[in-house]
Amino acid sequence: MRKTLALTLAALLLVSAGGRALAATDLLETGSSLLYPLMNLWVASYTQGRSDVQITTQSTGSGTGISQAVGGVAQIGASDAYMADAQLKNSPMFNIPLAISAQQINYNIPGLNTSHLNLSGPVLAAIYSGQIQYWDDAKIKSINKAYASKLPHTQIIPIRRSDGSGDTFIFTQYLSKSTPSWASGPGYGTTVSWPSVASSVGANGNPGMVQTCQNTPGSIAYIGVSFLNQTDKAGLGYAALENQAGKFVLPTEGNIAAAAAATDKSTPADERLSLIFAPGANSYPIINYEYAIVNPKQGDPGKASELKKFLDWALSEGQSSKYLNAVHFLPLPAAVQKMSRAQVAKIQ
Amino acid sequence: MATVLTGTSPKTWASRTWWALSVACLVAVIGILFAIFAFVIARGVPALKPEMFFTPTHGIAGGLSNAIVGTFMLVLVGLVLVVVVGLGTAVWTVEFAPRWGKRVIRFMVDVLAGIPSIVVGYFLYVALVELAGWGFSLIAGSLALAIFMLPYVVRAADVALTNVPRALKEGAVALGARPAMVVASINFPYALPGILTGVLVATGIGLGETAPLIYTAGWSNYMPTLAPTHAPVGYLTYVVWTYISQPFEASHQLAYAAAALLMIFVFLTNLLARSFVEYKLGGNRQRG
Amino acid sequence: MAAIVHAGDTARAASPAALQRTGAQAFLRVITGAAALLSFMIIFLMLFFLIAYAYPAIRFNGLTFLTSPIWNIGNQYGSGVTTRNGFSGPPGASFGALVFIYGSAITALLTMVVAVPLSMMVALSLVYRVPRAIRPLANALVELMAGVPSVVYGLWGLVVLVPWIGQVLAPWVTSHFGFIPFFGGSPGSGNGLAASVFILSLMVIPIMVATTRDVILAQSNSLFEASMALGSTSWQAMTRVVVPSVRTGIVASILLSFGRALGETMAVLMVCGAAINTFPQNLFSPVNTIAAVIVSQLESALTDSTGMAQRSLAELACVLFIITLLVNIVARSIMRGADRKEGQHV
Repeated sequence: MRKTLALTLAALLLVSAGGRALAATDLLETGSSLLYPLMNLWVASYTQGRSDVQITTQSTGSGTGISQAVGGVAQIGASDAYMADAQLKNSPMFNIPLAISAQQINYNIPGLNTSHLNLSGPVLAAIYSGQIQYWDDAKIKSINKAYASKLPHTQIIPIRRSDGSGDTFIFTQYLSKSTPSWASGPGYGTTVSWPSVASSVGANGNPGMVQTCQNTPGSIAYIGVSFLNQTDKAGLGYAALENQAGKFVLPTEGNIAAAAAATDKSTPADERLSLIFAPGANSYPIINYEYAIVNPKQGDPGKASELKKFLDWALSEGQSSKYLNAVHFLPLPAAVQKMSRAQVAKIQ
Repeated sequence: MATVLTGTSPKTWASRTWWALSVACLVAVIGILFAIFAFVIARGVPALKPEMFFTPTHGIAGGLSNAIVGTFMLVLVGLVLVVVVGLGTAVWTVEFAPRWGKRVIRFMVDVLAGIPSIVVGYFLYVALVELAGWGFSLIAGSLALAIFMLPYVVRAADVALTNVPRALKEGAVALGARPAMVVASINFPYALPGILTGVLVATGIGLGETAPLIYTAGWSNYMPTLAPTHAPVGYLTYVVWTYISQPFEASHQLAYAAAALLMIFVFLTNLLARSFVEYKLGGNRQRG
Repeated sequence: MAAIVHAGDTARAASPAALQRTGAQAFLRVITGAAALLSFMIIFLMLFFLIAYAYPAIRFNGLTFLTSPIWNIGNQYGSGVTTRNGFSGPPGASFGALVFIYGSAITALLTMVVAVPLSMMVALSLVYRVPRAIRPLANALVELMAGVPSVVYGLWGLVVLVPWIGQVLAPWVTSHFGFIPFFGGSPGSGNGLAASVFILSLMVIPIMVATTRDVILAQSNSLFEASMALGSTSWQAMTRVVVPSVRTGIVASILLSFGRALGETMAVLMVCGAAINTFPQNLFSPVNTIAAVIVSQLESALTDSTGMAQRSLAELACVLFIITLLVNIVARSIMRGADRKEGQHV
């Protein structure tokens, strides 16, 4: 029997070995599930008709992306969040923005899902802390004068991510920057210690957020903009958020671009910058850079050169709306594109 | 105790009601099972396209060839490890072990079957992927499956080898056969159907595992290679788990297709395992 | 995933003396002995490694690991570190696993409450009420059910079961039976305790049915017939005489299923609602289990530059390991005891 097994195995291995070009350079991208759909579109197009390079993409989460890139397992660690100083101290890595993403606050209030409620950081923080428990709370009414009579006395069910997530990172960063009590409490991170709210539900991944929100009247959720088509199909409402200038703005392309334009000049050379709660009258407050975490000193010169070519392509042709529109991402502002390409050029 | 009491009617109303209730439970459980089958087949089979068997996952969807080949490679390499170690363990237990040795090995192997797969996966992630620096790899994934499959193979081989009639072995020895030859030419052929059943049961289990693979085999959207380390491997359960979470309908279709394929593979493995049992036990199979 | 069922354990063992001691035999003995040693050592290897890896977390967390419901990996972007007992973690970190330990316990226990009576009923009807002609088919179906991959159960749970519980079952139960403690309150979203228990029950029922069926079949028919002759109904004979006579085997199979329910990961992860820092308030509240939290939190733990979060997850894995190890050891010991005492094979 062992012989049969060995033969089958050998046959399978042959089949699989025959399936790929022998001289191909392999690159591994792993990390952010938010960037994953875009990476798949990029890689499919970039490797079209080429047998000299193979790029594997994995949706494992930003934390895994960073740690695999640091460990040298992956050439590209995809992350929704830039690395912290403490992490960089042990392992100097490049944080290279590839595109701009945003996040919407969705809700399911029967009768109000086609209207855009106004929500602010402090109100969201109070909801996720259990201080505001009903949709007709005075604090919500006071910023939604137009809908004050329509807001129902329904319990609010705050939905959050159960897995570690860049969406949690940028959402809690918005709460931290707009609400001092949140900053000194749960703070921000890919996972935070959520206040104990009995009605709160954890959902796995953005699809879990969409589904749970759709199934649960009275719920509220933070969902990556790449899921815009899904939240529309699910009939969820999305909110206008209060920005730094005190204005309530919707996550439109123009408002996201305004926020990006307001921050591109303050982007430092290492490009580690939070775009959350950007200044400017029209700036949408929850946007972020999607990062490629790359080791500046690649051991293998062949891989280094293919890696640079791919990243350069993603930062030029890859910025086309043909790829970005499918996931509702925005291209980097020209100045940031240049900085990213300058970092790519320094990879060895 | 195989008497079927269909002929003897229960004496009292209470007895009849209880039996009716027990049959209702059976019907309910099988009904739910059918609901799950129907769901997976109804969503998965229409999503299964012939070209999925020949193209790897690509972009937001693509095919499943990498995941199918990867699944079988992980299970096969795992089986090779398991068959070597598991058969060795069973032969020692049956042929060489002292009484206490038999008891200890059988006990430990049975207990191993109850260890949660996520614990095995986390252990291998820390030990092999991180500390040994092998990265997501075929060998880490196969080892995870091997640890998980080992008890089933050892147990089946143990029972099968134990059941080899003593007279057969003694006859061979009397004819001058060397002990190693006895094991190879008498014990194994006789026990083969039983061992194969165990191997097939283990295969069914390996095919459906997810938790221990996520952080050991990783995932790859290319055909797996021969490289034992530093090359992640794709597998079907990952497609179900991840692609159902993508913002595209095509990705969901792929997840359902993978789920249907998994069910079909598991079903076939079970069917095959049962056919070996029938072969081995012939017509005497009264129990169960 | 089916539990290993012993059959013919004590069959005709070949006497080692029958094999001559030759060089080839010595070689075979050493090689197979090494394999056996490896099989024997695997559990210890894993346990010692995990404990050694988790040691800094065990020191850092101290008793709060078991007593605190707050799981907080701390501020990854803050400055400085928190140091306790000579080991450092992120500032503000608190690794309390009580919510997850409680969640594992309550889901597994409730699963037993649902699955044990159901499995007994199913096993009895399989043995006595299913016509001989379709019995192999019914048996095959039950065994096939044990082989369904857990992601497939999870997928069905996520797409079919959870919306049904959230929109139909939970509102109905909370409004009609809300007066019963643990049944009232918020109907929630469908993700939670009820969904987890439902899925886990489906996963352990085939295991329990198969073992219960086998121990009943292994019991001698005379007990049943004697009881019937004394005037019992067939149901009484079954439940008051036959089942009690094989109770050790049944208890062992219940324990094995309990261990299985504690360790199940993917299906629970997909439907449990992933509670954090909060205990379930009613049957439909979100919960979280040790196994599910290891998968869902590893990703975040990797962002911790001190590595303490990852080691705390290893500590969680140790807790799960030790609990399931104990449950399995007790179950297998009972089986061995039953084997010897009752002279039957479980």
